[in-house]
Amino acid sequence: MVISEAVRERIEAAKARFPQPRGALLAALHLVQEELGHIPPEAEREVADLFGLRPVEVHEVVSFYNMFHSESGGRHRVYVCTNLPCSLRGARTLLRHLESHLGIRCGQTTPDGRITLGHEECLGACAYAPMMRVDRTYHEDLDPERAVRILDELE
Amino acid sequence: MPRITVDGRDYEVPEGRTLLQALDDLGVLMNGVEIPHYCWHPKLSIDGSCRLCQVEIEGQPKLQIACNTPVQDGMVVYTRTERVRRAREGVMELLLVNHPLDCPICDQAGECKLQDYAFEYGVPRSRTREPRRALKKRVDLGPTIVFDQERCILCRRCVRFCREVPGTGELGVFGRGDRSVVDVFPGEELRNDYSMNVADICPVGALTTRDFRFRIRVWFLKEIPGVCTGCSRGCNIHLGTAYNRVYRYTPRRNDEVNETWICDEGRLSYKAIGAPDRIREPWLRSARGVLEPATESDALGRAADRIRTAAEAHGPGVVAALASPHATNEDLFVLRRLLAALGTEVHGMAVPRGRGDEILLREERAPNVAGGRALGFGEAEPVLDRIRGGGVSVLLVLGHDLLDPRYEGALDALRRCESVILLDTHHSELERAAEIVLPVRHAAEKLGTFTNFAGRVQRIEPAVEPPFLALSDGETLHRLGRTLGLAGFAGVYDVRAISRAIGSEFPAFAGRDVDAVGPLGLPLAGDPA
Amino acid sequence: MGQRVPHVTGYLTEHFADDAFGTLAGYRARGGYETARRVVTGMSPAEVIETVKASGLQGRGGAGFSTGLKWSFMPAETDRPKYLVCNADESEPGSFKDRILLERGPHQLIEGILIAAFATGAEKTFAYVRGEYAFPADCLERAVAEAREAGLLGERIFGTDFRHDIVVVRGAGAYICGEETGLLESLEGKKGQPRKKPPFPAQFGAFGMPTTVNNVETFCHVPHILARGPDWFRSIGTEKSPGHTLFGVSGHVVRPGLYELPLGTRLDEIIFEHAGGVPDGKKVKGVIPGGMSMPILPAGQLDVPMANEYLRERKTMLGTGGIIVMNEDTCMVRVACVVTYFFRDESCGQCTQCREGTGWMNRIVERIERGGGESEDLAVLLDVAGKMEGATICAFADAAAWPVQGLLRHFREDFEAHVRERKCPFPASFEL
Repeated sequence: MVISEAVRERIEAAKARFPQPRGALLAALHLVQEELGHIPPEAEREVADLFGLRPVEVHEVVSFYNMFHSESGGRHRVYVCTNLPCSLRGARTLLRHLESHLGIRCGQTTPDGRITLGHEECLGACAYAPMMRVDRTYHEDLDPERAVRILDELE
Repeated sequence: MPRITVDGRDYEVPEGRTLLQALDDLGVLMNGVEIPHYCWHPKLSIDGSCRLCQVEIEGQPKLQIACNTPVQDGMVVYTRTERVRRAREGVMELLLVNHPLDCPICDQAGECKLQDYAFEYGVPRSRTREPRRALKKRVDLGPTIVFDQERCILCRRCVRFCREVPGTGELGVFGRGDRSVVDVFPGEELRNDYSMNVADICPVGALTTRDFRFRIRVWFLKEIPGVCTGCSRGCNIHLGTAYNRVYRYTPRRNDEVNETWICDEGRLSYKAIGAPDRIREPWLRSARGVLEPATESDALGRAADRIRTAAEAHGPGVVAALASPHATNEDLFVLRRLLAALGTEVHGMAVPRGRGDEILLREERAPNVAGGRALGFGEAEPVLDRIRGGGVSVLLVLGHDLLDPRYEGALDALRRCESVILLDTHHSELERAAEIVLPVRHAAEKLGTFTNFAGRVQRIEPAVEPPFLALSDGETLHRLGRTLGLAGFAGVYDVRAISRAIGSEFPAFAGRDVDAVGPLGLPLAGDPA
Repeated sequence: MGQRVPHVTGYLTEHFADDAFGTLAGYRARGGYETARRVVTGMSPAEVIETVKASGLQGRGGAGFSTGLKWSFMPAETDRPKYLVCNADESEPGSFKDRILLERGPHQLIEGILIAAFATGAEKTFAYVRGEYAFPADCLERAVAEAREAGLLGERIFGTDFRHDIVVVRGAGAYICGEETGLLESLEGKKGQPRKKPPFPAQFGAFGMPTTVNNVETFCHVPHILARGPDWFRSIGTEKSPGHTLFGVSGHVVRPGLYELPLGTRLDEIIFEHAGGVPDGKKVKGVIPGGMSMPILPAGQLDVPMANEYLRERKTMLGTGGIIVMNEDTCMVRVACVVTYFFRDESCGQCTQCREGTGWMNRIVERIERGGGESEDLAVLLDVAGKMEGATICAFADAAAWPVQGLLRHFREDFEAHVRERKCPFPASFEL
């Protein structure tokens, strides 16, 4: 078993909030990913069991949404928004800067397993561009120096 | 019932159906009313995603997909307007954006809906300059199906099939947008009793059966209608034949019997037709006790001799028969007549059994169990008991159904007969007890009818000729009767006449002869039970 | 972070600078929930729907459908439970208003939901917040908990038989879940692939039950309409597009941010007077007026009132009110690259035209940007966009086609220059 008892209990509680338990599937996958860092096939099987679904149905859902990851990544996932409003204000320049600072390309993880760097579509911070999302947190109105400082402070 | 107009013709359609469903119900879809479609399938849930079936409906500003538009009284539909033509062309061009143009080496070529529709409805030249997506090629999805992910047009018929018909749901669509792919869960397989149907419903060459792929180009195949002999469902099939060989069975639609499906076991049962263990000539047990090849007249002569001698010595009751539910109604009717002419009423029918399911597969693993019962053949056990009690001298056996485990010990019982006359398609253990063995034709090699479990009389016709001399069971028995000099067995065997004659003795079969039942069969008259 | 306040405020956002407004006590101190109380204890559902209809409120999620009319589609007599869905899956590039409404005024939203629930007879609201909006979702969750604690949600609200509850649900990153039936699928724990219609959500919505989906901002207008009446609401904005809306201004402007202004405010007024114009003394080249799926306007057409009846004349729409301003250095082929990449990435993949068309357009414009374009590419682009339009299950394919059509309509020369020079001739443009 890769999903802990504690998370299983929270998944059961989430089910109760919906007219049909499956409504809690996304919530369950968020919980699993918070615990494991990503959602491997083994976890998909276990989630499928908890919901009375086939693993393939869970994998369809996992593979559909940007925020669910089948592959393991760094301890922190950092995303620079590169959609139009952010790109107009230098988001791609910022992304290049972070790539060279971390020594990895977008989509890769630092060798120490600290950071996975990525880009994302619009995150709803268009007026506060450029910006990046570090795990749950938005960092806005960035300049390259401040962005690097934020990354350097990550454990 | 709502009345609709399609391209100026009026149709009365069933209530509560969508346009494609209603036209399909009437049998005019792609048969008078051309509305091309990929994702829609008459026996699967509506998907509505391929967008090819768009039609123009009066009063609606946008084109509508025929698959999901409910019919309404007075609806006026156009399928041939310029807007519709352009919409189809658009879908076709977009479907080809990522589809590899490798038709010369694609096994679907010749029965590919992408090819067909591109020809009918597509644009004459390719405008894509961009590379197509590179995906999995020739991967095994499971034991039966080979998958070419690049050719997939994401109609999702296969996905819906696995969820809705066998209920196994092995397939899914992963990812989204133009990165969407059909696949199995990592590490799992497409493996179910109906898996090969996905190759039939795949409109392109993405899913092919390992069994058939690259065996022959399909345009060399002649598709002969027939009936699967694997169980008492009697699924309607096409026998794909060429060079006097059967290359495959594919399901033939019959909504009353098998809809559009067939089980994998039944589908692969064609292999028996050309199998090396077919009985190719008559055999007679020699004085040394071994079976040796013989001529038909020697074999029939010996059989007639045994029957005559036994009946004269002990009365006709010592001559018995075990019929086969693999034999046709006509074959069994001739057997009935022969037994009646001999004056014996000792007969039964051995029925092989296996695992059934809730979908198509029936426990009774032969196509004509109900026909045999309707023609008066009861259980095999009483006959076997009588044999064990020493009451049978000469036994006529059709087929090797007795080898089913439920007739354990039947072979030993048969050895108690003085003579066993076996009519069969394939060599089997049963020959050990036989004195006379006569080759007979497989269902793929003869004309006749089977009666399925629900009492539907369905026609089979010769798709191939056996490459050796063999007659149907009925004709073989007819010649035996003639050799015996029995009344009514003179002259040439006429299976059509026999088929008609069944109805005069068994009223349920009246009007159910080979020429009357049509391609989809007819239920027995009166109470089908 | 959470301190984002509109530069220009109005009835929706006037108290957003006050941190306490986000709490129940602070909201009540400004008269919060009094309108809901008056509605629930003194009006009939039909009266509420009539009032909202009379106000002319149009949905603020992009399509601009009449809110009152939408509510009236809910079956009045039914034994089945009815649901509301609050669409907080704000994902339209250029749009960030719902986020601020959630962060700074969650109780205003809850009050709007309560009134809508009373009007439609819904027993539960699912507030579907896009997965990336962790903080806004937390703000709403907190407010819901407070309201429940105070008896404003749950059984016997305001001492009546009216009961309601709100379930906050998080998405997981998919633009298409902003489409109402894509959202419903996602809410049910599935891929967010829009449903074919019929059936429509008012008959067969969330979990198969009658459902009305409204945008966050739409709900937020409701308490104000009920408090001050439809005539007051109609006195703001244009005749056909009444009320305020939240314009999000981003891109090349001095003061990017949120502006609460009447519908019908001129686009050039928003850009130059409110947002301070383009930095560094540069000129505007083009403006996307309503979020990225709306066609672009060139610099010469900014004198348009921001309301659909005027924007339609210029072949564009208000959408979600996200105004993206591009300066004179901007390469419109690069813009097309970003736009088509986005739609390619976000297409759910169901319908042929959308799945294949978004990818094809993206590959063509990227090739043009790299210098590999041919003159016939422009015709192909327009043709593909045309094939995508109006032919799919949902409006996403239209949303993907329109911006490409708009860019080619007004900035064809940018594309042709790339083809001619076999490279991007805009070195000063934003980096790709």
